[in-house]
Amino acid sequence: MDEILGEFIAETLETLDALSGEVVAWEADPAEKSRLDAFFRFFHTVKGSCGFLNLPRFEKLAHHAEEVLASIRQGDRVPDPATVTAVLAVMDRIGALARSIGEDEQIPESEDDPLLDALTANSKILSDGFEIFEPLPAKAAPLAIIEDDESKVETAPADQSARNNGSGRERAPRTIRLPLALIDQLMNGISDMVLARNDLARRMRESSAAPDLESSFERLSANVADLRDMISKTRMQRVDRLYAAIPRMVRDLTRDLGKKATLDLDGGDVEMDREMIEMVVDPLTHIVRNALDHGIETPAERIAAGKPETGELRVVARQSGNQIVIEIGDDGRGINRAALVEKAITAGLYSAVDAASLTDAEKLNLIFHPGLTTAAKVTSISGRGVGMDVVRANIEQIGGVIGIISDQGLGTTITMRVPLTLTIIPGLIVRSGDHFFAMPRGNVVELLHQNSAMVAIEEVGGARIATIRGERHALVDLEDVLKIERAEITGPRTLMVIRSSVGQPYVLGVQAVESNEELVIRPASPAINSAGVFAGMTLPDNGQPMLLLDAAGLAQVARLPLRETEGRSRQTAPQAEAVQRVETIQALMYRERDGKHRLIPLAVVDRVEDLAADQITTCDGLAFARIEHRLVPALNTQGSEADTPKSLRLHAGQDQICYLIDDVIDIIEVPAKVDAALATGRLAGLVMVGETQYEMIDPFTLFAEVTQHRGEPMGTTQPIRCLIADESDPWMRSILAPLLVQAGHEVSFGTAATGSPDIILRTEAHAVHATGDVPVLTLREDAASTAATPDSIYRYDRAEIMAAIAQAVRRVA
Amino acid sequence: MTEALFLFASIAGTPIAVRASEIEAVVRLGDIVEIPLVQAHVRGLAALRSRVLTVIDMEARIFGKGDRSQTRLLAVVADVAAHSYGFVVDSVSDICAAPQGVQPIRGRIDPAWAPYASGLVEREGHSHLLLSLADFVAAPGSATLAA
Repeated sequence: MDEILGEFIAETLETLDALSGEVVAWEADPAEKSRLDAFFRFFHTVKGSCGFLNLPRFEKLAHHAEEVLASIRQGDRVPDPATVTAVLAVMDRIGALARSIGEDEQIPESEDDPLLDALTANSKILSDGFEIFEPLPAKAAPLAIIEDDESKVETAPADQSARNNGSGRERAPRTIRLPLALIDQLMNGISDMVLARNDLARRMRESSAAPDLESSFERLSANVADLRDMISKTRMQRVDRLYAAIPRMVRDLTRDLGKKATLDLDGGDVEMDREMIEMVVDPLTHIVRNALDHGIETPAERIAAGKPETGELRVVARQSGNQIVIEIGDDGRGINRAALVEKAITAGLYSAVDAASLTDAEKLNLIFHPGLTTAAKVTSISGRGVGMDVVRANIEQIGGVIGIISDQGLGTTITMRVPLTLTIIPGLIVRSGDHFFAMPRGNVVELLHQNSAMVAIEEVGGARIATIRGERHALVDLEDVLKIERAEITGPRTLMVIRSSVGQPYVLGVQAVESNEELVIRPASPAINSAGVFAGMTLPDNGQPMLLLDAAGLAQVARLPLRETEGRSRQTAPQAEAVQRVETIQALMYRERDGKHRLIPLAVVDRVEDLAADQITTCDGLAFARIEHRLVPALNTQGSEADTPKSLRLHAGQDQICYLIDDVIDIIEVPAKVDAALATGRLAGLVMVGETQYEMIDPFTLFAEVTQHRGEPMGTTQPIRCLIADESDPWMRSILAPLLVQAGHEVSFGTAATGSPDIILRTEAHAVHATGDVPVLTLREDAASTAATPDSIYRYDRAEIMAAIAQAVRRVA
Repeated sequence: MTEALFLFASIAGTPIAVRASEIEAVVRLGDIVEIPLVQAHVRGLAALRSRVLTVIDMEARIFGKGDRSQTRLLAVVADVAAHSYGFVVDSVSDICAAPQGVQPIRGRIDPAWAPYASGLVEREGHSHLLLSLADFVAAPGSATLAA
């Protein structure tokens, strides 16, 4: 907040400086439109920011000055010298106040009144006006401009700086303003330096440099890395900073206006160029004010319109390709097109005939025209129709676009899209064959392996669908979209659940996700943008250029349905739920092998799979399914199986069961509480779904049944974390490690004790610094125990190794 | 009047000239990262220190197809409309002034070259086609004869 305040002061003073040059020109020709607009905008911005920062005194001054200027704009008032003087006096007072923020000594508020009187006074009282603000304290130094009193001009600044050196200094951190071009140059210089460092590091590794040379290089390298982080930070800020003042503003405004609204802020972690944030603060403030003032109705009106009493205001920021999108949506009354058109006709923008031929979008866009507003009356909050043209000017100045969607009676959504040049974003590096691409992490909802228990992939009529935890998504493979060859890989592919700015989430299949990096994104050249799937390019530390994927573009090229059809229904659904106040769970409806439809809570279903008949074995009255080298108890087997029975893999902690069924039918929402509790056998009770009642399985009894049969609990032992010290040893890596994993242990590699291992395994050749009391197990190559270390074990003595691991860990415990 | 400098090079066996004011440097490119879904003349991306160049294969642009097997390409580096490009050429012979300036094209040139060649520049008694690098960046079809 202090930072924003500091910036407000700096900005206000800067604008004042810029405007001071115009003052004389304006006095000479007060009717000049563009200058009048400039002053008007200044007051309006101050008014807006002050509401945002809760500075009522500034707000009052600015509001009155704005009002006077507005009446001049409309021709209701003549800009005579007295008015001009009074407006300038207010301007200077704002400057003086801004300088005095954070200092102990303040201009008494009562002194504002004469200024305001002078504003509203007609020319008769003018001469009094002069005298009224003459005896101001020296701090209002800029007043000297009007008073033309040279002695004050000289003394005041000195006075000011003296005070700054005293009490004011601790208050505000010292800052300077730098041209962004300089920071850009710094940034480029650092990037070059990092690449040079990486190159040097590679060469040093190749030539195996002397250790002392290496250590000083390490130091240099760390410095370069720090430096780069610092330089990057000079430009980037989280959108949170934009959001900081909104909740307070919404609270105050709703109270002033007698309205109710909830605020939903999302995407605060998106990072934006500092300059962009500065440019977006004002527009955002204006839009939020407008939404509260004009968009959201009073509680009484809302109830009359059949809406919830409390309005909803959403501010969402996200990165979309090479743009940052900030959306401000309300569920208020929407924009009244007829009123806008009428105003436009009154203002002489269109003739009535022309206006009739305007499209809906054109009518909406009238809101961005200077001087047009739909507000019936002018309030101190908004409604002078200056907001939106200023907003658009600000956004377009930074190369952004502003759009508006409004449904009469349903609400308005304003979308600001600002470019993301030189933005640093966290990205995931994905691999497809020899190609590497970056995907903005903001677009990635979730990463899964294709063979994950939570994913079911099916192909229906040519469309591929991935069902993840009951939610269906379109599935496309990156290679198919980009028309590149798919590399043969052994492991499972990775699925990324992608949420783009437009349309529904979809699933993108990639060969692998390699790493997670902070990327400096630069715009790609038009020849590359024409492909439609790239949002920019980046140069990671390895010096190989990489392209940034555009999540929305990929969906478009893959011809995925983009229209968000669920939007409205999703908004209404929670309300309906809230009314009923029924807690629901997701349940899987399936057909038992006897043809009966039953339900099972989806939470316990790990996956649905087809088993081969020979995977199922019966052993001593209990059936097992062999799945990936493990035996999982199976229920509902019918002696010797034929074909490929479908199975629900159920899980509860470490335990798994295969529950054989005929087929899966659907996933539905059911009440969490069964309607008729039975608690006999495998059934929990009956559940009403629509017109039919279904039996709900009690998964607990299934697991109890299996455990009871087995006599001993399955897999309750904690896995042991094994660290293999010499990762380069092929035997350790390819023979021992899989063995340990198969035995249910966790295996990691490396020399350092990362992740606090329970035991360290090593070959005789590899020395290990014993860390703490972690036991070290030495494996020898010779069968005979003649080797130096007495506690070494022959590496093919599997039973001995396993026992030693278990024992060593027990000793520690 | 100072004489304009020209870079003399060759593409597909044809001698060409480019105004030296258009270009920034001539470099031998390292690895080129290929880009899917783009037109054939966009060879890929190459790093030049901390800059990323979009590599344009001039031959492929002119004739519609090019040889992709070559590596360590020679490229003319230039900034066009705030983006950095590398324009692949077969060889570079010299940068020097052309005392006789730009002359109109005599004879009928190959239609493939026609959209790009805007004149002739003479060096050591041989004629070179004058090209403008910006023409190779614009979308095909929109390329116009440089005045």
